[in-house]
Amino acid sequence: MPNASDSSTPRGEAWVWFTGLGLIIGLGMVIGLLSLVILNGVTVFWAPSVPVAQVDDGRTIIGQLAQRRVRAGSPADQPRYELQYQVGLRELNGNSYLWVDEAKIKSEAFPADVLGLERVENGPAFVRPLSLRKSDGLTIAIVDPAFEAAFQSEVAAAASVRAKLIEITRHRIGDVNGEMDEARVALRRAEDLKLTAEITDRRRQIGGLEERFVALQAEAKKVVEGGAVASLVSRDAANREVIVPLTQVIRAWFPNRLDTWGRLKLFTSRVGEFIFDEPREANTEGGLMPAIFGTLVMTVFMSLLVTPFGVITAIYLREYAQQGPVLRIVRISVNNLAGVPSIVFGVFGLGFFVYVLGGSIDQLFFADQLKYNNNTPVFGTGGLLWCSLTLALMTLPVVIVATEEALAAVPRGMREASLATGASKWQTIREILLPASAPGILTGVILAMARGAGEVAPLMLVGVVKLAPTLPFDGTAPFLHLDRKFMHLGFHVYDLGFQSPDSDAARPMVFATTLLLIFLVVCLNLGAITLRNRLRARFKGASF
Amino acid sequence: METSDKNGESAAAPESRFTVSPLTLAADRWMGRLIRFGGVGVVLAVFGMLAFLIFQVFPLFTGAEVTPAPSVSISAQAVAFGEDEYGDLPYVVLADGRVSFQRALDGQKILDWSPVLGARSVTAVKSYPRAGLVFLGLSDGSVQELRIVYRSSFDAAGRRSVEPTVSALDSVAVGKPGLPCLDVWNAKSSQSRLLLVRQAEAGKSLLTAVRLTERKGLGGKAKVTLSTPFVIAAEVTAVSQVLLPSTAESLILVTPSGEVRTYADDGTTFSFLQAFIPFQTAANPTITAAGMIFGNVSVVFASQSGAQQIWSMYPQLQPDGKSLRRWGKIHEGALLAGAGEGIFAAEGNKCYVAVAAGRLQLRNMTTGSLRWEGPAPSGAIRQLSFAGNYDRFTALTSDGRLHRWTVVDHHPESSWGAFFGKIWYEGATGPAYTWQSSAGSDEFEAKYSLVPLFYGTVKGTIYALLFALPIALTAAIYVAQFLRPEYRQVVKPVMEIMASLPSVVLGFLAGLWLAPLVDPRLISLFCAVGILAPAALFAGFLWSALPQPVRRQVKPGMEFLFLLPFLVLCVWLAWQAGPLVEAAFFTVKDTASGLPIADFREWWRQTTGATYDSRNSLVVGFVMGFAVIPIVFTIAEDALSNVPNSLISGSLALGASRWQTVWSVVVPTAISGIVSGVMIGFGRAIGETMIVVMATGNTAVMEANPFSGMRTLSANIAVELPEAAAGHTHYRALFLGACCLFLLTFVINTFAEILRQRLRERYKVV
Repeated sequence: MPNASDSSTPRGEAWVWFTGLGLIIGLGMVIGLLSLVILNGVTVFWAPSVPVAQVDDGRTIIGQLAQRRVRAGSPADQPRYELQYQVGLRELNGNSYLWVDEAKIKSEAFPADVLGLERVENGPAFVRPLSLRKSDGLTIAIVDPAFEAAFQSEVAAAASVRAKLIEITRHRIGDVNGEMDEARVALRRAEDLKLTAEITDRRRQIGGLEERFVALQAEAKKVVEGGAVASLVSRDAANREVIVPLTQVIRAWFPNRLDTWGRLKLFTSRVGEFIFDEPREANTEGGLMPAIFGTLVMTVFMSLLVTPFGVITAIYLREYAQQGPVLRIVRISVNNLAGVPSIVFGVFGLGFFVYVLGGSIDQLFFADQLKYNNNTPVFGTGGLLWCSLTLALMTLPVVIVATEEALAAVPRGMREASLATGASKWQTIREILLPASAPGILTGVILAMARGAGEVAPLMLVGVVKLAPTLPFDGTAPFLHLDRKFMHLGFHVYDLGFQSPDSDAARPMVFATTLLLIFLVVCLNLGAITLRNRLRARFKGASF
Repeated sequence: METSDKNGESAAAPESRFTVSPLTLAADRWMGRLIRFGGVGVVLAVFGMLAFLIFQVFPLFTGAEVTPAPSVSISAQAVAFGEDEYGDLPYVVLADGRVSFQRALDGQKILDWSPVLGARSVTAVKSYPRAGLVFLGLSDGSVQELRIVYRSSFDAAGRRSVEPTVSALDSVAVGKPGLPCLDVWNAKSSQSRLLLVRQAEAGKSLLTAVRLTERKGLGGKAKVTLSTPFVIAAEVTAVSQVLLPSTAESLILVTPSGEVRTYADDGTTFSFLQAFIPFQTAANPTITAAGMIFGNVSVVFASQSGAQQIWSMYPQLQPDGKSLRRWGKIHEGALLAGAGEGIFAAEGNKCYVAVAAGRLQLRNMTTGSLRWEGPAPSGAIRQLSFAGNYDRFTALTSDGRLHRWTVVDHHPESSWGAFFGKIWYEGATGPAYTWQSSAGSDEFEAKYSLVPLFYGTVKGTIYALLFALPIALTAAIYVAQFLRPEYRQVVKPVMEIMASLPSVVLGFLAGLWLAPLVDPRLISLFCAVGILAPAALFAGFLWSALPQPVRRQVKPGMEFLFLLPFLVLCVWLAWQAGPLVEAAFFTVKDTASGLPIADFREWWRQTTGATYDSRNSLVVGFVMGFAVIPIVFTIAEDALSNVPNSLISGSLALGASRWQTVWSVVVPTAISGIVSGVMIGFGRAIGETMIVVMATGNTAVMEANPFSGMRTLSANIAVELPEAAAGHTHYRALFLGACCLFLLTFVINTFAEILRQRLRERYKVV
């Protein structure tokens, strides 16, 4: 780089500094955005202390601080702020969140007896417990030193009852319902075709299923009654009595008593729920397992589709096709396909895959299903297969270009040496070119996966839903259900952020999902970048 | 390389170690075929995608397919007709009031029904095929209503048979007693029904109407009350045509002199509303044909010379400043082959058939497009009616023949003009580019102009580029030419990470986090952004003014680290100064309290009269920067850093400073690469979907206002395609949008690619 050796100032030095500004802004934007998402995403799981605040108008508020913002209409030179508390107890307060003028808060205290509850229904609650009413009629008051131990063990007992109940109502009854639907379709078909033997068979089957259904319901009832659970008697901020049956309680903690270790344990348990559990309360609480799973299955299936086609095309373009103006045009077109908006691929996917291909598959193979199940399409509607295919088409140029680059980077000498030893063209490709370019191909595939995992617009058209009752991959044959609709992390962000009726309640979940999605995509990209750098280093000095 | 294929054959050596195993050869051959097949297949599939999109859009630009069916001879006496839902069994009404049903298939007579009239005779007949109503105007001025009901049944084999019944209601005295009815009309408003007859009294035409109010009694029997007959338009002496909308809310009279007089229902009678002469400027202002279009708001007039005009009711500014719905010309239709002989409207859309000089033309009123043209049957057309689902129309000619045409026209409302032109829609106050694909009512006309969407796309792109280009290009110059190489290793991956951020995340942060945050501190933000460039330049000048020993302390390529704290300080100061600036320049009176408040948003609304949305173009532009900056940066940086070192060394050796070298040698050499990067960034911004969906209000407005939202082509597709029914005009219009996006980005990217290749060649030469 130049450096003036005389004492005069080089011309235009100020402009150099000016160009440095661009870099600062660019880096600032990335780092700012990532830290914003990380900060907001991580704090969702952290349990802060919960204040009991006295407001000017005589109200008392027990709640977790959620946001602080400038009051609307307050003068810009002397901004007044307002605070948003998550007060919970939606069934009593109407809304989980509350805005309070900061200036009107008289005092804030952090009493040790404030209890936070995460509940199955109606969101969280912040209460001051009075006593624990056990199922045998025994009551343990809060002042009793045995209270906390008894309380936590009762919560655990209630959780196991709830788990049993969920197993019965959601899984086993769900299975029976699924079989019932199939049997009804089959019965309708048999009745229409007048297959007497099958009609009796199917009727018997449906009868059996109905019996099983009733039996399961009875079992569920028994679990509820038999596993008698304790309930918590407490008071809320307005001194109303709140009785919470412990089956409703997922997690309970004393936010103002916890030490850092306790908060970390709570944090881990919440992160665990977030990753491994199913969503609750219109997706605003609970976990994301179906969306994570859906994203993964779709991305993996997409890469299985795109890799062979992309690699074969790249080998064709580089090793087989005659180099010339036609190939140049083809190459430019394939390159440019990477710049075609993703929504266009979604439109194509809907028009061609879903309506033309899916419609024809339904006509050919699922005619009975259509006829006897109220024209419910099987493949003629959005689903996993069509999403994967659409994204595979979208990411195809990424893989082609990466593979071509990797093939081009293999030194000519290696190729010639292989051919000179008498290897055939295919042997050369298989034994020399593909292994040498494998990291490059992998880079392309990882980039494609990253793009596929983060893409939402085309998926909205071809089969992503906000809540799928079943996973696309499960224990019933044929295990991978390509026709099913599925959940996706990116669509989850869109749906929760923009379609959710209670945007305040959805906010923490959106940030957490965003963090997870960005983490996934950035990891994939960093992997691809590292791989590519290694590849470059490897071939830098390579010459035969 | 290619020769290696033939190694096996050419080496015909006797020794076995030189012969290639057949398995290897077969594998080579088959894999070669597979790869060729796969490669060509994928390349074709990629092009097939564009072909499919075009194939989906193509039906929008085809006309109607109209095929005449063999005509059926009925009776020269027939004056009106009607038919059932399927058109199996049409009926004709003869001049004497007899109703005869005749099978369309073989002309077999099914039913002949005669009215019982006593001494009276039938003098006028009107059939309303869609409602199954026939009205007979009688010689004493009264009207008899016939109701025709078709009952369809299916036999065991699924064949349809239709059985008609005719029932006559009591005749109603409408016209002046004793005078024969010359014509009769029926219409139904929400409260009552209107029966209108035309009679002639002393050479002067006389229009009389009666309202029938039907009330359901307790026993389920409808009780009909009749109003006293009232005369409409007593001042008109001669009427050549009467148009009564099926809703009975207005009445349009065409006089032989070419004047059109309109009347409006005022609750009791019809009062005069407006008179106009459509062909006033023509040599012969006579109106030879007129027809009301479906929706009852527009009328098509045809003149002696074949000129067409379309008049419609829309809000017009009156001299007193009020805006009232009045008739006005909205379209000047194409010239017909000769004098208009009849205008017959279709059901369910805005098409009509115009008859002139032996030709039938199926036209769309709104777009003016000619859907189909064909020969008219011989003999004047007495009545022409469309089936309810617009799949056929039937005409009765004066020679007593029933002609039928089947219509296949899936997209009657589409044309180039509808998608790309300014169209004056019914009810609008002028021609406009409008996108409005759905609404509540059935008579709603969908509006598919892509122009506002293009406008929104370009607007979003421009704001994004305005923000992104300066940052991306200056950063590229700095990184490529000034930054120390060890920092480059870190900076480039960070920018690539920026490119990989999912747009749904950016959109969410823009819409839900940034927009509400920036909203109250807009001026602070402007100050902070505005201070950046001067601050950086100022720092540079300060630096250059320092004595050399001090400057020597900092290695070149690390300036940005020193700039950073200074910039942070400046930005913080500017942010704090924002409220003061706002108070100084943007104080307005609060509309609610009357007190002066310093609020830029209110100031903007009051001063410019334009809207202010919190999710506006600036927010979109900023966040779209995340998507555009890394792309432009990467390509421009590549182009800049690949400039041959010999050029740079030469320039420096001649005594140019590093900035002079960059500005006059490096940038001009790499300019095509930079332009290519800008174009690819442009392409990316055009197609960006989720950011726009989430960070704007998605209203299809056409205003350059930076504080309003927009609707882009891509966002429009994402929002509407899930709800569009496959194969409908709406669906295909969205495909057309996708097609445009595809072609636009493809052309831009191809151009960028060509530029980049040219750059590569230039470097080769150097």
